[in-house]
Order: sequence, then structure tokens, then C-alpha cells
Amino acid sequence: MSAIIEMHKVTKAYRGVPAIRDIDFALERQEIHALVGENGAGKTTLTKVIAGVVEATSGHMLYRGREVRYASPFQALSDGIAMVFQETSLVPSMTVAQNIYLGTESFLNRLRGVNVAAQQFLQSLNFTVSPTAPVATLGAAKRQMVEIARAVHHKAEVIIFDEPTASLTPEEKRYFFALMKRLRTSGVSIVFISHTLEEALSEANRITILRDGEKVAEGKATEFTREEVVRAMVGRTLSGEIYKKRRSLAEIRKAGAKVLSVQDISMGNAVRNNSFSIFGGQITGIFGLVGSGRTETFKIVSGIYKRDFLRGGDIELEGRHVRYSVPAEAVKDRVIYVTEDRKSEGIFETMSIAENFFSGYLAADLERSIIVDFREMRELAAHWSKRLNVRAINDNARVIELSGGNQQKVVIGKGLIQKPRLVIFDEPTRGVDVGAIAEIHQFINRLADEGLAVVVVSSYLPEVMNLSDRILVFRQGRVVEEVSPHEATQEKIMYAAVH
Amino acid sequence: MIFDSLLDLFRGKAVTIPPMDGALRPNTLLEDADVRLGCQAPDNLVEMDGKVLFSSGHDVLELSGRKNAKPKVKAKFDNTVSALAASEEGLLAVGLDSGGIEILGPGSGRKMIDGFACPVALTFTGEHDLFVCNGSEEHRPGNWAMDLMEKNALGSVWHVSLSTGERKCLASGLAFPFGVAMDAGEGRLIVSESWRHRLVGIPAGGGEPMPLLTQLPGYPARLTPREGGYLLSLFAPRNRLIEFVLLEDDYRNDMMREIDPPHWIAPSLSASRSFLEPLQCGGVRTMGIHKPWSPSRSWGLVVELDASLQPVASYHSRANGTRHGVTSAIMHDGAILAASKGGDAILAAEPSSEKAES
Repeated sequence: MSAIIEMHKVTKAYRGVPAIRDIDFALERQEIHALVGENGAGKTTLTKVIAGVVEATSGHMLYRGREVRYASPFQALSDGIAMVFQETSLVPSMTVAQNIYLGTESFLNRLRGVNVAAQQFLQSLNFTVSPTAPVATLGAAKRQMVEIARAVHHKAEVIIFDEPTASLTPEEKRYFFALMKRLRTSGVSIVFISHTLEEALSEANRITILRDGEKVAEGKATEFTREEVVRAMVGRTLSGEIYKKRRSLAEIRKAGAKVLSVQDISMGNAVRNNSFSIFGGQITGIFGLVGSGRTETFKIVSGIYKRDFLRGGDIELEGRHVRYSVPAEAVKDRVIYVTEDRKSEGIFETMSIAENFFSGYLAADLERSIIVDFREMRELAAHWSKRLNVRAINDNARVIELSGGNQQKVVIGKGLIQKPRLVIFDEPTRGVDVGAIAEIHQFINRLADEGLAVVVVSSYLPEVMNLSDRILVFRQGRVVEEVSPHEATQEKIMYAAVH
Repeated sequence: MIFDSLLDLFRGKAVTIPPMDGALRPNTLLEDADVRLGCQAPDNLVEMDGKVLFSSGHDVLELSGRKNAKPKVKAKFDNTVSALAASEEGLLAVGLDSGGIEILGPGSGRKMIDGFACPVALTFTGEHDLFVCNGSEEHRPGNWAMDLMEKNALGSVWHVSLSTGERKCLASGLAFPFGVAMDAGEGRLIVSESWRHRLVGIPAGGGEPMPLLTQLPGYPARLTPREGGYLLSLFAPRNRLIEFVLLEDDYRNDMMREIDPPHWIAPSLSASRSFLEPLQCGGVRTMGIHKPWSPSRSWGLVVELDASLQPVASYHSRANGTRHGVTSAIMHDGAILAASKGGDAILAAEPSSEKAES
């Protein structure tokens, strides 16, 4: 088997600071190659160089034995290299079918023809997405499916997946991996970035491990154990620290006063007569499959979505009826929602870290001078960067230049700067590496210890089981089961979520 | 939003029930609890000189230390006993369904206090101070369902000095006060107000009731102190059907006029066997649990509250259970004794909050 892509001594620097340094990388034909590494290790940068999103500062790349240097993703795609990004790059106002055929349309298009072709194509991939649905109405998992379908449709020879499974349910993941294997047997070579090491170890043929922009290990997946991969990634053994064994009854925090009482709230078909309470001083974990109404419920709570006008139910915050029309009203009441979709809802990516933190501060109804004090902005940024351990060149670095994990920390800091009493984290560690997951978990735990009411919405079961003091399982728009982490098993929670 | 109160006129009033979650998460601890004694409709439990007394029908009985041993009759009355309280000095106050309270001294002396139409909860603070919850001005204790369906708030809390015979109304306009306990630290009485599903604080000298714990998912009954908090029993669950009936005045009036009270759509102490009553446990079995498709009118529920009146643990007998209509619970010898009036049993459950702490 010869390599389809070979990279020699590739370096990419941003403002003189290298994100990857002297990397040698080879992708064999018809292999699944996993790229793993800690937050900011350079995985995404490396794949962006391959896909022509950014140009390497030095080094060279061979594709099918010929030296190439792509100036744009379009060039790479024309050559047969497609990349499926961590944050989807679909056009939200267009339909699924239009997105799949975007860039390959014929001069005269018949919309019906495009829809029928897209329907057949999606069915062949086993993706249950309606081709006529506007992308804006789809959840993260379905957007990911469309993104994958688009890459497959371009008949790419090399497909790069950046965190493809982060937003998929276990069932969808199985489909995805089966699809990946099908693509491989049909001649496609695949690079996939994953923070779930089990996936990398079980699904990939080979693994490359990066740390701080350098390659630290490479080899067949069968030659690695989870412990070795983690040690190589972070230079220490973190495994088992993050998702340790079940906590004893004494370790589970007791509920404080009831902070939020949600009664019978409804919003169309997404949320149906949902009732639950959230208590101070503990972490309430929310688990449910995609489409179970978890995100929608908490977006209603935080004023992003509106519940039904008639018989929409009741929300009480510390005994007071609330009905927020806009998120600003919730922020004023110190209810913070940390979004799952950081790119479009969480950050201003072309602004600096300091400006992002400060935007959160400005949105809160806190006492401050009416004139923007830049010294205050810098001090706040320095304080929160330190508290959250945001790794960047400096606070003036643009958020777009940060890795997924550091971007997530900025989103969290932007919310916490508003001094909340109820914090809702929606998929707080989605697309974040192991090291940063531990830090974020530690931080969330500290918030609960300080007495805040914390909600963690996650589709990753070990995370829910490890973090939560009580677990609410959502199905079809409502809470169907409450489980104590002491008695919870993955099977029990999943059973409640599915049946 | 400032227009919300205006918009609410068009939206209508939402009928919402607080969920049983957190510390109130349903379990079967009450259903699985040991039966200390099977007896006809046990009601109010009190501890006196280390012994447990309880009311059942016209009698006040003493619970034996042995399981299922025949209880000793302490006193008999002409009417159903509706409330009990025992003082450290050996006084026993007994509320009667006919109205009035009888005080039994350590000897054989009896003294009658008249003027209370509906004495449903009593508590002593010292030898001479008795606090009385008068559930309603219009109905007898056994007629509580009528009081709810009429949406009355005619209850009151009284202080009676046994030495001078003086009585003072501490608060009135309460919606069926069904439980009372003294919070000496705060100098107030904690009263469970059933029809408003809440606990309120009333200054010991009298004054406006202050809500302390609101939005309970059931109708609270008696409240007894325990170490580090209180035990609250809730005698029936709230459900949307009953809340809806309470909103529909014409329907409710017709129902009260034409249908026998046991078959009303109203809270109940037990699921009866009559085919005429609204179905309670027809339904399906999901995940091994019987899910009733008709809202349950009865339930068994005891809640442990901490000193700040926050629920910390709860004991349930669910829709498919039989230990329903718990009107009183006390701590005795490290166990929770609960009187299931609807289930005709006195139950002994192991405190689960202590288990969690150890």
C-alpha cells in the first residue's frame, strides 16, 4: 500500500507562533487514520493544511506522489480532498438538498430533481434527513450528516472528518462508522480527528498522536492501548481520572433550595408538557438522544425560544413566575445558557478573547461605568483567562485562532462573567480534548460547590454519570426518568432514553 | 415583560402541577415498609412518655412494641377522633369530629374545650399552651372533601391557654390548616395549609402567615418535628384533573349536587373498589412499573424536611400501591412510623436521609 498523502516537515505559524512544527505525516490508500491530541495540539491545523483551508508556512505535501500546494479548499476539493468541519459550514437558509449540491449545480436546475436525487443519495447513506428541510431547522447531528453526505457526494478520494461523532447519538455513531468502513472499501482514504479515544482505537487502522504542535507517536491502532495514547497525548496519565468509577452516595451533593421550577412547558412538538425542578448547590445532568427536546427546553428557560403562547406552561425562578421574551431578560435574572453551538451562538470569532469576555460583561446588568474602560477589559480578560486556563498567545489573540477547547473556555467565561445563579451548560465538552475536558469538569464542579444551580446537558453518558448529582432523562420532549448517579448504569439511562 | 399580565388574560390560567422530582422523586419505600400494625383507618400518631399513641375511629390506642400485637385502648370517645397532641407533662389533647377538644390529664380528669368546628391538628408548647388548627368554620373534619370542593379558606389557627381558658386567633382565612409544629428558634408556628399546597409560618403571638415552602405536589397534612427538621405527610397527590375540576365551577357544583361524595373527582385517601369511582389504576405496565392512565386520586407520601424546610428525602406508595392517605408520621426508635389512613396500616420505614449521610 502506498501513501496517498505524504507531508514532510510541515510547519504552520500564526503571527510567528507555530501551531504545528516540522510534522511528517503519511496517509495510506484505503486506510482510516485517526489524529488524536490534546486541546490545541495542532490536529485541526494539520488537516486544514491538507484541505487547503490554510497554507503551510514551510514544508511540502505530496498527493498521489505529486507535490501540491492548495490555496483554497475548492482547489483541494477539485483534486479529491474534502474536509468535514467540526463546526458545520452549511448554508443555514438553504435546504439539505441545495446544500449537498451546492457548487456542483448544473446551469439550469429543477428543484424537484435535486430533491429526488438528494433523497436517494441520503437513503443510500442511511441518513434520515429530509432533503427539503432548511438546514437552519436541523439539530447538530443532522447538520453533521448533511456535511458528511456533501463530502461523500463530491466523490472525494480523501475525506477528513474533524470531530465527526461529537454530536451524534450512539446509534448514529454506529451508522457513521459503518459508513466510514464502506467508504474505505470503496477506495476512499479517511483522516478523522476524535477526542473519544475508544473510537480512535477501535475504528482506525493507524493513529497519529500530536502534542503541542509536534508529532509524538504514530503506529497501528492495534499496537496502542488507551493508557499509552493518553500518556502520549498529555505527557501524563489522565485516563480514569476524568471518568472515574461511580461515586458513592456520600459523594453526591445534596440539593439546596429549589432555584428553578418548570411545570408543563410546551413548545410545538419539540417540548411537550415538560416538568422538572433544578436545585442549588448541585449539578443536574440532562441526558437524551438528539431530538429529545433537551436543548429546546433549556433554550425556553433562558429566553432564547418561546414556549407556546396558549397553555405553554409555567416557569418559576426562585418562586417568581418568569416568561422571558429575549435572552437579555434571563441574563438580567442571572440565568446563563452556555451554548452547544459555540461558532454561531457562543463567540464573536473575529474579535479578541478580551473583547469576547467583555461582551459577556456588557450584556449583564451589572454595576459598571457607562464608558468602556479598556483597562477594566484587560483586567477582566486576564483574570478569566487565568481562571479558565485559556491557552493563547495573549488576550488580544482572535478567538478564531484558538483551538476548540480554548474557544469553549471563552464561551464559558463569557457566561460566568455575568455572575449567574443558574448556569446551563449545553454539551460543555463537545469537540474538546481530554485535558481540557478535565479542566472544564473541575470548573463545573467548583461552581456547584459554590452553591450555584448547575445544569449539564450532554449526550456523552460517562460525562453525565460522572458529573451529575442527579440525572434527568429526556425523551420525546419531556423528562421520562430521574436517576441517581449512585444507581445509574449506562444501560438503564439509555433504556429510559430510547423506550 | 410588562405586557405579560395583560396577555395572561388571553392565554388563560395555566393548570400546572409541580413535578415530584429531586428529593420528592417517587420510590416504593412506603409500599415496601414494614407493617407495624394493621388496623382500621389509623390517623394521628403522637409520642407520649416514650410510647406511641394513635387515633383510630372513636378510640385512642397505644401501639405495642411488638409487631402486629393488639394495641391497648387508652381512651374511648363518642365521636371519631380527628386530632391528637401529647404534652411532656402527660396531658393528652383529643380533637373530635363533632367539634371540640377534650383534654385528658395524667389522672382520670377530662376537660372539654368547645368552639372549634373542625379541629384537625393540635400541638402543645409547655403544660398550658395548646395550639389548634381549625380546618374550617363550616365543615367537620370528616367532611374535608366538601371544604376543598367549595374552595373554602375558612380555616384558622388558635392559641388556647389551658390555665386561664383564654383563646386567641393567631391567623384566619387559611385554606384548611391540617398540621402544626412549633419552630421555637424562630418563635413561630409552622402550619401546613392543605388547599394552598404550602407550609406557612405564623408568629407565635399571631400575625400574617408567611409562605415557607410552596408548590407542594400534594395536599400537606400533619407536620411533626424530628432531629434536624420535620416530617411532613401529604395525604393525597395533586393532579391536573382535580385542578381542572376546581376551575370549572358549574361542573363542580353539578358534581357535588348529583354524585355521592366518595365518587367525586376529588382527592381521596384510598383507591376504593367501587366501579362507580373515577378509575385509578387502569393502565399499562412500562419499564416494570404500572403507569395509570387515569390520574391517581390517592397516594402515600411522607417527606423529610430539613431545618430550613427543604425536602431532603421522601417515602412513597405510588398509584399501584395500597399504603395511601398518610395523614401523620413521627420518628420513633430510629424509624419513621407513618399512619396510612387509606391503607389501614401503621408502617415503619427506615430513614433514607440518614442512610445517605452514613
